[in-house]
Amino acid sequence: MREAAYLRAVSINIDDSVLVQQSQTGDMMALERLILKYQSRIYNVILKMCGNADDAAELTQEAFVKVIESIEKFKGRSSFYTWLFRIAVNLTLNHCQRAARTATRSLDSEETDADGKTTQLLKEFLSDSSVADPAVLAQSRELCDLAKRSLLVLEEPQRAVVVLRDIEGMNYTQIADVLNIELGTVRSRLSRARSNLRDILESMVK
Amino acid sequence: MKPNPNLDELLCSFMDGELSVRQRTEVQRMAAHDPAVARRLKQLEKSRAMISSLPMAEAPVDMLERIKESLERRTLLQDQPLPARRSAGAWHLAFRQLVSAAAVIALLGVLGVVVYQIVRPVPHGALLPLPDIGKRVSMSEAPRLVPSPVVVADAGFTGRLELRTHSLVHAGASVERAIEDSGLSGRVQPDIVNSRRVYQVVGTRESVNRFVASLSGAWSNFGAATLQMEGPDSAQPVVVESLTPEQAASIVAQNSTEASFEAAKGYAITNYMARNMPGGEIRPLIQDDSGTMTAMIVIPRPKETGPNDSVPASPVPHGKAQVSLTIVLLDAR
Repeated sequence: MREAAYLRAVSINIDDSVLVQQSQTGDMMALERLILKYQSRIYNVILKMCGNADDAAELTQEAFVKVIESIEKFKGRSSFYTWLFRIAVNLTLNHCQRAARTATRSLDSEETDADGKTTQLLKEFLSDSSVADPAVLAQSRELCDLAKRSLLVLEEPQRAVVVLRDIEGMNYTQIADVLNIELGTVRSRLSRARSNLRDILESMVK
Repeated sequence: MKPNPNLDELLCSFMDGELSVRQRTEVQRMAAHDPAVARRLKQLEKSRAMISSLPMAEAPVDMLERIKESLERRTLLQDQPLPARRSAGAWHLAFRQLVSAAAVIALLGVLGVVVYQIVRPVPHGALLPLPDIGKRVSMSEAPRLVPSPVVVADAGFTGRLELRTHSLVHAGASVERAIEDSGLSGRVQPDIVNSRRVYQVVGTRESVNRFVASLSGAWSNFGAATLQMEGPDSAQPVVVESLTPEQAASIVAQNSTEASFEAAKGYAITNYMARNMPGGEIRPLIQDDSGTMTAMIVIPRPKETGPNDSVPASPVPHGKAQVSLTIVLLDAR
């Protein structure tokens, strides 16, 4: 475990292209470093997209297995970072489409769980007089749960754009590369997603 | 304020730092002068803040181990790398195609052999050479004649009947008795060459048919019977192996050279198939005259006729049609 933490710390400073090149020559250590470097970021994105920890772990594992099996074919036309996320996001989108009905039912059943205190917190946050301070939000577990739930109400393509931008922190070009869509589509999809999120949150406090 | 998609897009790009310096200045100016734009910008920023404030989830600590185990499982299941499996699949497909092609070729080969057996030319020396037989049994029309029901212009035919036997003496006696019974007189003497006895029979179809009928009783003494028949005009001769007395009678009883030849060809095919088909499925067809290929050939059974039988008048005289049959008895030992 300590070795893994050390490897991850070391890997962060090594350029991806070097690790990829070493991996393509059969260097298992380089492959492990790539996995350790990205495993949590991939897991986090997948979890926010699918909303289930077990599924997220399974999909993360599957994504890395696919990466290892295909690393020899990676030509470097895009960055390893976007290639890796493309594999993970595609796997997750496919999974979400299969499980779409179940996810919706689960969300609907939980929708009534928000208590009065949480609703009041959200109402205050959404009011025009308050300030959008992420630090304050992060301290409220209830608001975080509402945010997760509202995210899952979005359609998968909009959810993917929001997660890649607001959680993973990708720029528009990287998002376009991962999702294989036009830059203009990223812009419009993201603005619609944020607008929809606002509507969903407002509907929760009514 | 009603959401404006174009404004939302612009404001989102502004929030995300995806605008040029000039565009950013423009958005800042709009927000400063228009409270509605400023409010919408704030709303969108809150939407973003809700999501970006979500805590980062750490991957399970054993993720690396899980990935390794998954890879090992896949390797065990697949046993070989993907390209090798594709290659094995291609080889398997090619092998199946090859086997199919071989089966088709083998089938064509078998059919070719069947056809060849039927239409093959008889090479010189394939049948035993015969001595020059000067004596021919000239037949007068027998009073006990049973004529064929239909008689047309007929040139007869020439054939050679080989009969293998373990007892040349007894078989010879049977042949000679049959010649006498059929009215071919007792002048027939065999040419004895080495271990063969050769008889030459020339007569009408009716008299030769009576000869075959008479000989049918002793047919079981012959190990094998083969008829070689000359074709009409320039047609290749036909060889009927495993000839039965019924078939011999049928060939002889036809009312023209062509009909006899066609009947012989039909028996050549059916006998060959009966010998070579697994389980002898053709046998019942040969033995059953109804609704089969052999039923197309008129097969009058050999029939013994006595002196008192009434003889219907033949509608067309056919005494000139001569059947020349060379009977060769071979020692099968």
